[in-house]
Amino acid sequence: MFRGLVAGQYVPRRSFVHGLDPRTKILASLALITVIFLVGDFPGYGVLAALVIASIAASWLPILAVLRGLRPILFLVVLTFLLQVFLGGHDDGTVLWGGGPFVVTREGVREGAFVAVRLLILVTSTSLLTLTTSPMDLTEGLERLLRPFRRVGVPAHELAMMMTIALRFVPTLIDETEKIMKAQMARGAELQSGNLFQRARAMIPILVPLFVSAFRRADELALAMEARCYRGGEGRTRMRQLRFGAGDLFAAFTVTAVGALAVWWGRVS
Amino acid sequence: MSPRAASPDHPEIAPANADAVIACEDVSHVYQAGTPLESVAVQGVSLRIGRGEFVGIVGPTGSGKSTLVQHFNGLLRPTSGRVIVAGESLDRRGADVRKVRRTVGLLFQYPEHQLFEETVARDVAFGPRNLGLDEEDVEERVTWALRLVGLDPERFGPRSPFSLSGGEMRRVAIAGVLAMKPAVLVLDEPTAGLDPVGRREILDRVQSLRAEQKITIVLVAHSMDDVARLCERIVVLHQGRVALDAPTRAAFSAADRLREIGLDVPRVSDLLWRLRAGGLPVRTDRLTVAEAVDEIARTMRAGASGGRRERGDA
Repeated sequence: MFRGLVAGQYVPRRSFVHGLDPRTKILASLALITVIFLVGDFPGYGVLAALVIASIAASWLPILAVLRGLRPILFLVVLTFLLQVFLGGHDDGTVLWGGGPFVVTREGVREGAFVAVRLLILVTSTSLLTLTTSPMDLTEGLERLLRPFRRVGVPAHELAMMMTIALRFVPTLIDETEKIMKAQMARGAELQSGNLFQRARAMIPILVPLFVSAFRRADELALAMEARCYRGGEGRTRMRQLRFGAGDLFAAFTVTAVGALAVWWGRVS
Repeated sequence: MSPRAASPDHPEIAPANADAVIACEDVSHVYQAGTPLESVAVQGVSLRIGRGEFVGIVGPTGSGKSTLVQHFNGLLRPTSGRVIVAGESLDRRGADVRKVRRTVGLLFQYPEHQLFEETVARDVAFGPRNLGLDEEDVEERVTWALRLVGLDPERFGPRSPFSLSGGEMRRVAIAGVLAMKPAVLVLDEPTAGLDPVGRREILDRVQSLRAEQKITIVLVAHSMDDVARLCERIVVLHQGRVALDAPTRAAFSAADRLREIGLDVPRVSDLLWRLRAGGLPVRTDRLTVAEAVDEIARTMRAGASGGRRERGDA
């Protein structure tokens, strides 16, 4: 029931984008998110869309996997579009269609399309990060990026370790949930019927065992880590060292240049 | 139906039972069909389980045992083929799955992981309550089920299930399924992870349950010794297919076939086969230690009167 490919799940490939240093990709994503919110007009998004499409091409991802990642937010995109069109409050614009309390204006449609495109580019560019970076690389990149902030008390290693463990246990917990649901259904539990309150109550026989098993797993994991002398990040060496390469330089330059171009071109005139 | 089951020249194979509680007809189950992760778990399985039978389902890890038994109460639907439980065909839309779940009680692996209530009594009551019984009946069934698994309802009923030992928790979980009074009880590796004492206890309970309640039992197991001791009929699964379906004695006298699949032979059968290979002409269809002792003694006596033997070390 929960099986199958998850949106934004890592797709292993040997491409230019996959081979980039995770730090480059994280920073580039952050930069792109900022740029997306700085851009104020369509031409800027044209530039960004070109960059995103070029990146997808450079990462050799099946276009279907990327589109599938967009499916969950499609509803949100349509909803924001409609809200903008009907409730955007452009009373003084050019009226395209008027009926009762709802007035559709040219400005409203434009605004709606703008927000929808913004959302699509935002999600595509960020999911590109998780699509091309393995969870291991991702957490390691984060740890390295956060390391300078340790002086001000940011527990970089601990945060990264928590993230790694959390990611590692997602499939395990999904399996576990499925098993517990089946076991309770075998005991006559009704999970798909009744009103909201009844359904919430029906979750108790699933959530309690799930939490119990999660705590048990956490205990076992902690024990196993301690048995192998884990004592935090101090003095730990890495099997794979992160290294900036020429590709990273190129990627950083491209993203900066294209981002600047998008902001300049997309400024509100 | 398996073509072998009806063939008259295999008298040792169980006859097709007309009064089948569970009938699988050419059942296949494919996980994640149509994706790159597609995997076939069960393939063309035809199987009939008659009322009152005690069937053991064995097979190496990944042979499709757990997948197959989840079809028995409608938790999984076959990708192709038909499953008919108590006259209800499960492949049809609108099939009465609730009735089927009431008929077939399924105990999952590590069932203690499904306990959730504050007290043992309330946890066991979960199933009967879902059946819509009134409080009085529910209470009666809880007491009855706890007694059946050898837990004193007075003493264990008010305790938290999480304060019990592993073996006790498992018995509470079994009571939870028994309290629904299913006509068929499917046990998926009920002894996994228990120590030998806990194992023995659970299996003895299962056996006495069978004797007293006359219910149909399907035991999925890894240990050949347990299956040999308890079941009347054995179904061996291998790579999602039925590799062997025969009465217990006949099944274990086909020891080579089992080894080929990668399954162990019960230790008693194994010993007899080794003796035979070493030159002692024992029969290999003995299943219990007592039977084996008799058989070896008989053969050796016969051997001693017929001429001196080198090998007498058994």
